[in-house]
Amino acid sequence: MNKEIQKITIFPGVNKSGQSETFDQISIEKGEVVAIVGPTGAGKSQLLYDIEKLTQGDSKSKRKVLVNDAVPDKKWRFDPRFKLIASLAQSMNFLTDMIVGDFLKLHMKARGKKLGENIVDKVLSDANEITGEPIAPEMNLLNLSGGQTRALMVADIATISDSPIILIDEIENAGIRKEKAIDILINEGKIVLLVTHDPALALRANKRLVIKNGGIVDVLQTTPKEQGIAHYLNWVESFNLKIREDVRAGRRVEEVKIFCQPYDKDKIL
Amino acid sequence: MKLVIFAGTPGCGKTSIIKHVIGILKKELDIIFVKFDCLKTDDDTFIAEKYGIDTEKKLAEELCPDHYQAMELSRIVKLHANRDLIIIETAGLCLRCSPYVKEGLGISVLDITAGSPDRYGPILTQANIVTISKADLISQAEREIFRVNVIDANQNAKIVESNGLTGEGAMDLAEYIKFSLSVKGHRLTLRHSMPSAICGYCYGCRIIDPALVHKRFLKGKDLKAMVPNLNCGKCGYKTCNEYIRAALDDQDLLERCPFVKKKLEEKENGK
Repeated sequence: MNKEIQKITIFPGVNKSGQSETFDQISIEKGEVVAIVGPTGAGKSQLLYDIEKLTQGDSKSKRKVLVNDAVPDKKWRFDPRFKLIASLAQSMNFLTDMIVGDFLKLHMKARGKKLGENIVDKVLSDANEITGEPIAPEMNLLNLSGGQTRALMVADIATISDSPIILIDEIENAGIRKEKAIDILINEGKIVLLVTHDPALALRANKRLVIKNGGIVDVLQTTPKEQGIAHYLNWVESFNLKIREDVRAGRRVEEVKIFCQPYDKDKIL
Repeated sequence: MKLVIFAGTPGCGKTSIIKHVIGILKKELDIIFVKFDCLKTDDDTFIAEKYGIDTEKKLAEELCPDHYQAMELSRIVKLHANRDLIIIETAGLCLRCSPYVKEGLGISVLDITAGSPDRYGPILTQANIVTISKADLISQAEREIFRVNVIDANQNAKIVESNGLTGEGAMDLAEYIKFSLSVKGHRLTLRHSMPSAICGYCYGCRIIDPALVHKRFLKGKDLKAMVPNLNCGKCGYKTCNEYIRAALDDQDLLERCPFVKKKLEEKENGK
């Protein structure tokens, strides 16, 4: 079903005071990253609910959400086996007492996917690009570090979950390459929604939806300047990660070389 | 009047999600919240104060809380017949129990961190809606595996993933409740018989009616006095209690127990 969603379009509804939202329409295409910003209680959950349920003016906000420019097929709204949004949040942990390889196979089986060693290998190699501490298939899920756990969750969602939209809700700085994580999700053709105020992530998005009093009050396209700032922040973080790996490996950290490299323009959105 | 019964093991997050549902529905519906518990609870006063709705507290104390709920249900429904919605939270201790009635909506709250759903009996399999709580604490992969296991256990249920802290899922539940059927009259029927204990329901009664339950209890008591209570198995049932429940439903089974048969014959000859 993943391949079927090329684009979702949100049409305006009303805010908590019943006033109409002022945007025309917001389109989010496959491979796009969109940040949702606003204080607690602003109405982020309602927006996520509208997207998840593909509401047709029948929710509190009265927003309409189209898929591929058409009213969505009922199966997306009502099939209990299918969930439009898969999520990744700070509070999440693995609780299953199982080794990584077997667990990934169990997840594939639950998703009705053919068992294949190469999928396990792919998920692990993706995960190992995100974390600095390599994950091996025979490690127990419960023994993974915070960074390994988060990295494995991202790689697993990218490849094994069917949900076309990934919601990332405040992931911490637990030693993962966040930019890499988002690249892997985009490469699998996912739409990525970020509910975060972490600038390294929020400025990495293509646009930011600003929410206030239950309504979307602004849609900010990320400027080239902001993209540059995001790139810089991610570079500082990857530098941080490298020193973290040195410390873990018992090496001495001899010098701190901070210099601004000219960034690769093709890599920027 | 709509009737919703929430069931789930202690600490699974029933009250947390109910609070969010009440917060959403109280603007449009006149709600009474009835909280069943075993020994002690303050949730009724907390919800009354926080949401400004009427609440009632029911403590089962000596009784099995689910049996107690079934005994109280017809009175509750009669008393609040003029309201829009009755929300009942059961104490829910037993996975064998199914406190749901055919006439109302049954919502099972499953704690995703508490292990595999295949351990649950009617409390899961008889529900209209299964709410998977604490879903925010566990990986997406484990959620998906859990979801498939829930569907395997109960093909017909709607599934809602919920988070009692943020209220995620409460909007879905509120929608399902709003569109559930209204209860007509106050004759209710349990969806599944209860495990044995010592009241009329223990003898397998499923009609929510104090008089019928009592009648069933007396009949059951009479039979209980006639069976050997040895679980000898001559009647074909595993235990005497199981036999009594079956015999109360079907008179023809009375003679299956040789002891009961003998006593009934003696009784007849005595006449």
